[in-house]
Amino acid sequence: MKELIRKLVDVSSPSGHEKGVHQAILKELEGHIDGYRYDNIGNLIVWKTGVAEKPKKYLLDGHADEIGVVITHIDEKGFLRIDPVGGVNPLMLLGTTLQFESKETHEMIKGICSYESETFEDAKKNLQNPNYDVLFVDIGASSKEEALRHVHVGHFGTYESPFIDQNGKLISKSMDDRIACAIIVQLFKELGKVPNDVYGVFSVQEEVGIVGASVAGYDIMPDMAIAIDVTANSDTPKGFKRMDLCLGNGPAIKIKDKASISDGLVVDTLTNCAKENGIPYQYEVLLFGGTNAHGYQLTRSGIPSGTLSIVTRYVHSPHEMVDMNDVLNAVKLLKKVVE
Amino acid sequence: MYLKILSELYGASGNEEAVKKYIREIVKKTGKIDYIKEDHLGNLMCFKKGKNQKKTLVLMAHMDEVGLMVSKIEEDGKLNVLPVGGVDPRVLLGKRVVVGEKKINGIIPFKAIHLQKKDYKKVPDWNDIRVDIGAKDKKEAEARVCIGDYCHFYTSFEEYENRYIGKAFDDRAGCSIMLDVLESMTELPAYNVIFAFVVQEENGLCGSGAVLKHFHPDAALILEGTTAGDNPELKKERWSTHLDNGPAINYLQSMYVIDRRLFNAIIRTAEDIKVPYQMKGRTVGGTDAGRLARSFYGVPGAVVNVPARYIHSPVSVMSKSDYHHTLELVKALVMTENYLEALEV
Repeated sequence: MKELIRKLVDVSSPSGHEKGVHQAILKELEGHIDGYRYDNIGNLIVWKTGVAEKPKKYLLDGHADEIGVVITHIDEKGFLRIDPVGGVNPLMLLGTTLQFESKETHEMIKGICSYESETFEDAKKNLQNPNYDVLFVDIGASSKEEALRHVHVGHFGTYESPFIDQNGKLISKSMDDRIACAIIVQLFKELGKVPNDVYGVFSVQEEVGIVGASVAGYDIMPDMAIAIDVTANSDTPKGFKRMDLCLGNGPAIKIKDKASISDGLVVDTLTNCAKENGIPYQYEVLLFGGTNAHGYQLTRSGIPSGTLSIVTRYVHSPHEMVDMNDVLNAVKLLKKVVE
Repeated sequence: MYLKILSELYGASGNEEAVKKYIREIVKKTGKIDYIKEDHLGNLMCFKKGKNQKKTLVLMAHMDEVGLMVSKIEEDGKLNVLPVGGVDPRVLLGKRVVVGEKKINGIIPFKAIHLQKKDYKKVPDWNDIRVDIGAKDKKEAEARVCIGDYCHFYTSFEEYENRYIGKAFDDRAGCSIMLDVLESMTELPAYNVIFAFVVQEENGLCGSGAVLKHFHPDAALILEGTTAGDNPELKKERWSTHLDNGPAINYLQSMYVIDRRLFNAIIRTAEDIKVPYQMKGRTVGGTDAGRLARSFYGVPGAVVNVPARYIHSPVSVMSKSDYHHTLELVKALVMTENYLEALEV
């Protein structure tokens, strides 16, 4: 499964540009699904049809997009200005490599992020308070013309960072939310004949504001929707002291975050399945944030929705860290739920 | 062009009746619409059959503008107000408004410069904003206005050289362009077109989603008047748009990434017909495209803007050539198949 995760996190697919991930997912799922389609706004929906007389419909969601940046201006010397796509703290960008798919070669062009500093005072101020007004990206171009061969205003890019497999942890960009995509793909690979209809939704544009979920929910009208997403942690030095979320303690069954309160049906189903099968789990009450469960709750006449989280360190940084055991246990748990 | 009259009509969010009445009149006068529909929220939808009737485009502009609403009448007869939509209180001091259906004249008071020492350095917030309608006390004020009355900016439309000046170009510019497109049609559009004039965009994209309950469009094209922000004291890199550089195209906005296929179709079309265009350099601010993408079965959309300086204030400035180039571009998108064909790839 690690190879699958590596393949998915390797793809650069910022919000609105999910095609790359979708194609990688479809390739992996060949022979493991009964069908797939894209909906109006680009969500990839795959399914397996249940054999029960009156099958229930389960929807599992992992968003295909990742946070990134977009080029807003290219100056005469070929330097780029950017804005965030989703929640990108400008602090994360300093010292980080960015990547953009070149118009000319279709290879990934790398960009280095730095900040304006006309005086030492400026440098100090801008370093202490980095913001998009003072940041710029350097792709090594010596002129506007050279830059324009590769990129244009309105060009989207993402972090570029290595995939690391170390001490039972996986570290990479875009674990948010490729880890969920990988979990769903792995689940479909492992599923044999299923009693219930199982839909996998690889939704678009979660990071800019939960766009895809409500549309997928409207189309599918499932009996239950489970969003799978990363969540924050509390187990690092001076981590959040009002929450209890640890890597390695099992997938986290979300009770609530800022955008939604998980439906009791979903929480109970996940909890019971975990207990009955001896799968470790933890409960999650998150003080902030939201997932696609919010989108599913608000569509049609309201779909019972909840979230299964993978506790992740350094979310929205170029190096998001998950525990491999949590991932494997999430697959196990979801498999029991849909069976 | 109907921009003059449209911009001078009063229609803050939730109070679009006068704007709608006028638009309905013009739409009928063109005689080019198959039927008109109005929903419970107040959206006006005008259906035009196309050559290809299997596909439908929704062309959308919002009728509402930002304004104020009376929240309390003070003992001294002055009115407390709150914003309807995004209004910067700093631009209000000393400006004229009209209050309520009776269109009572009001002025937003401030302390004369003679009486100030350092007060002028203080940025006013909503606690400092009142409307003075000349009433001597609460009783007299209550005879003319009541809580919940709208206050609209009072600005007459003017033009000189390459500029239009007036209020509410966000989004009467879009409304005006839609009427111009309709009026100019000498043959059927490439596909069915719904000319949707929607309500309550400025207070949180409240109106547009309901349009999808009545029609099933394949894609949306949103027309907006958008921020210029090309003031000389600001860094050029951070300008949103620049007057006279042509219609501005969004690629990312608050809560929505513009559908890439539609975005590319707009650019291709602009290049085909040799209309200048620019990218909107800032990614903040939402439009109804974001609402339509999330509503019901999800309708992908893109946005074409006429740049305007100082929007969401009592007066904004627009370029005539930008307006006309935007009109040409929108016409081409409606009359050729580029736009909806892009979705088939």
